[in-house]
Amino acid sequence: MPNRFLCCLALSICTALLLSFSSASGAVTTETLMLAIKGEPEEGYDPILGWGLYGNPLFQSTLLKRDEKLQIVPSLATKYTLSQDGLQWQLTIREDAVFSDGIPLTSEDVAFTFTTAKGAGGKVDLAHLDRVEVTGPYSLTLYLNQRDTTFINRLITLGIVPKHAYSEGYGRKPIGSGPYMLTEWTEGQQMVAEANPNYFGKPPFFKKIVFLFTDEDTSYAAAKAGKVHMVVVPQSLAHQELPEMVLRAVKSVDNRGLMFPTIPNTGQKTAEGYPIGNSVTADPAIRKAVNLALNRQVLVEGILEGYGRPAFGVCDGLPWDNQENAISDNDLTGAVTLLEKAGWKDTDNDGIREKDGLKAEFTIVYPASRLVRQYLALACADMLEKVGIKAHVEGKNNFDEIRKIMHRDVIVFGWGSHDPIELYHLYSSKNAGIEYNNAGFYTNPEVDSNLERALAAGSFDESLQFWKAAQWNGATGVNTRGDAAWAWLVNLDHTYFVHKDLDIGNSQVEPHGHGWPITANIEQWKWRR
Amino acid sequence: MRAPSISLPRVAAVTPIPRLTNRTRAWLACLSCITFLVMLFVAAALLGRSGLDIDFLHRKLAPSLAYPFGTDWLGRDMLTRTVLGLCRSLAIGLLAAGCSSVISIVLGIMAGTMGRRVDSVLSLLIDTVMATPHLVLLILVSFACGGGPQGIIIAVAVSHWPRLARIIRAELLQLRESEFIHLSRKLGKTPSWIALHHLLPHLLPQFMIGLILMFPHAILHAAGLTFLGFGLTPHEPSIGMLLSESMRHLSTGYWWLAILPGLSLVFTVKLFDILGNNLRTLLDPRTAQE
Repeated sequence: MPNRFLCCLALSICTALLLSFSSASGAVTTETLMLAIKGEPEEGYDPILGWGLYGNPLFQSTLLKRDEKLQIVPSLATKYTLSQDGLQWQLTIREDAVFSDGIPLTSEDVAFTFTTAKGAGGKVDLAHLDRVEVTGPYSLTLYLNQRDTTFINRLITLGIVPKHAYSEGYGRKPIGSGPYMLTEWTEGQQMVAEANPNYFGKPPFFKKIVFLFTDEDTSYAAAKAGKVHMVVVPQSLAHQELPEMVLRAVKSVDNRGLMFPTIPNTGQKTAEGYPIGNSVTADPAIRKAVNLALNRQVLVEGILEGYGRPAFGVCDGLPWDNQENAISDNDLTGAVTLLEKAGWKDTDNDGIREKDGLKAEFTIVYPASRLVRQYLALACADMLEKVGIKAHVEGKNNFDEIRKIMHRDVIVFGWGSHDPIELYHLYSSKNAGIEYNNAGFYTNPEVDSNLERALAAGSFDESLQFWKAAQWNGATGVNTRGDAAWAWLVNLDHTYFVHKDLDIGNSQVEPHGHGWPITANIEQWKWRR
Repeated sequence: MRAPSISLPRVAAVTPIPRLTNRTRAWLACLSCITFLVMLFVAAALLGRSGLDIDFLHRKLAPSLAYPFGTDWLGRDMLTRTVLGLCRSLAIGLLAAGCSSVISIVLGIMAGTMGRRVDSVLSLLIDTVMATPHLVLLILVSFACGGGPQGIIIAVAVSHWPRLARIIRAELLQLRESEFIHLSRKLGKTPSWIALHHLLPHLLPQFMIGLILMFPHAILHAAGLTFLGFGLTPHEPSIGMLLSESMRHLSTGYWWLAILPGLSLVFTVKLFDILGNNLRTLLDPRTAQE
């Protein structure tokens, strides 16, 4: 058996080496595009269950969409108005939209999609949708139960599914009105999409796209051998050179940060019996000291190879971002002073501070399969040691395991959306302990008030001041100057190698999800020659 | 025409090197293996964990005098990681093989001494476990036990015992029918006397050799499980994890991340193989006096 194992190991290594050193053949410039950019959701391609939330739903079309400058432009909806009281969205949809099975898309389908998504309780947040009223074959009204300035984002992200063809298992064989239709999906291997002849927009240049679902190494090897036209690569591989391919580093709000439990451990547990609270991170001085001690630029250069930027909030650079989130980090003196002032002192000279018999130590947990998060956790633990905070690092094999301890330990999470509702999800006390939202049970009435006011503002523009105030209003907020509920670390650049002749237009600032979001403007992709 | 006579140089009288007997060679081999393994643990203690510290200034360095095994993506010393990883893998492998051998000897003796019915049941069990693909069983058990070191140890322990159990059973069955055992019985010796003076000396070598030859299996499988992501937490040094990590960088030219830890693993496993084979020469009553 050892010999057999060794043979297999040697064979695998040889194969990998052969693949890596094989010369790249020129990519075939046909109407078939080969992409290795991930995009295989466990739940299938079902918008009701969250498909398309981060990036283009591809097989379905949405009522509205964002262009490369993140401006909202019409898609299925030709007209959309919000009533004065902010509680009714009146929509008129185009009459030429047809599903890929040839059946026209009507307001009934839109109503069905929104009603089903609300009832499904999936990833799509439709808590503020009260009911949907179909007012005509191509017009409808969405009634909200409270004002919600972010609701327009649900019109942008929720792909419309056909009422007549939606059933259990839809996600495996989706029918939609998007630019492409799914023709073949071998789970874990590849998915083939062909241009939807019934698409209402301009027919896409590429008639067929093959999405390969291979792991990073295989995808990279395939790109090196000239077998794919685009490959998503981790930042650590971005400095490599691939024949016939050019690097495309796309800015994103895909961030990574440390989520702190903000309430002390009093033995409290969730309904499932998972522990809540951490007495060390419940002290704001610890959380602020962590934020001050970290050197984010070093994290960007050392772990992301420079392909990223320091993160100080969940929405850096977006219109609702508060510019005052940015701090001068790598401030070890400031961190030490803060800790000393709060009573955290190293009395037994073991390098770890104590306060009232409690050691300044906690565990940073990361999902074992995510290398960047692992490196971030290790690097943060290393940096915190310098100020007398001991961070143990632990990898968990899956998110089910993380769910059990995420209210007790510090977790390396990743977020990043084009929708400000994410701020609400992460920091509103209403979301404390609900799914991954506000897993740290953060509560601040002033922040809550600003978040509610942002939702209930008269318009999106008016809401911006409240979103910003929730982050920091001069006295309190979620950022480091305030409660330091999180220690945001880095915003990733999404790195891709693209065939030099493939024109993918201008990419928008991408949301969370390294890979699939690049397809946001896939209808515009074409060969340069 | 006569060819000129050639005067050959006189060969100096060489004292012949005394030829080593099989037994001496086996002793030497065993000692060398054990010395190396002891040195490995001593090296791990001397190197400490300082090499595991992150050093962004010395990332991805190729092997050099300062870093004989190079450094990794975070600037950690690969020699330290490899040595600590090997020790960890060895410790897990030894523990798992130890547990497995206890299961083997208990079930082997039960099958060989407790009658035909027990023998049939245990033989069926042995055949069933042996027929199950090793890796599948390992993954299933490790996953069911929640992964981590305990998952690996339990998985290896419950999947590696059948071969040794079968050997012990067969040896026992053969011994029971031996002339000298029959003779002892007829001479009125008690079963415990027979077990102590006849069965144990014959079983012990089989058991010891089986145990030692189980180590490489256990170490490799522990590394294999970790490589596949069912084992240890990724940032802790272990050979399986080092190899798994290095796969990401093989195609980018950072060969030392895979080759050196991989060779170290192969070398260590081979040592156990040599140790087991030589121990067989020394302990087996049939070859011990050669």
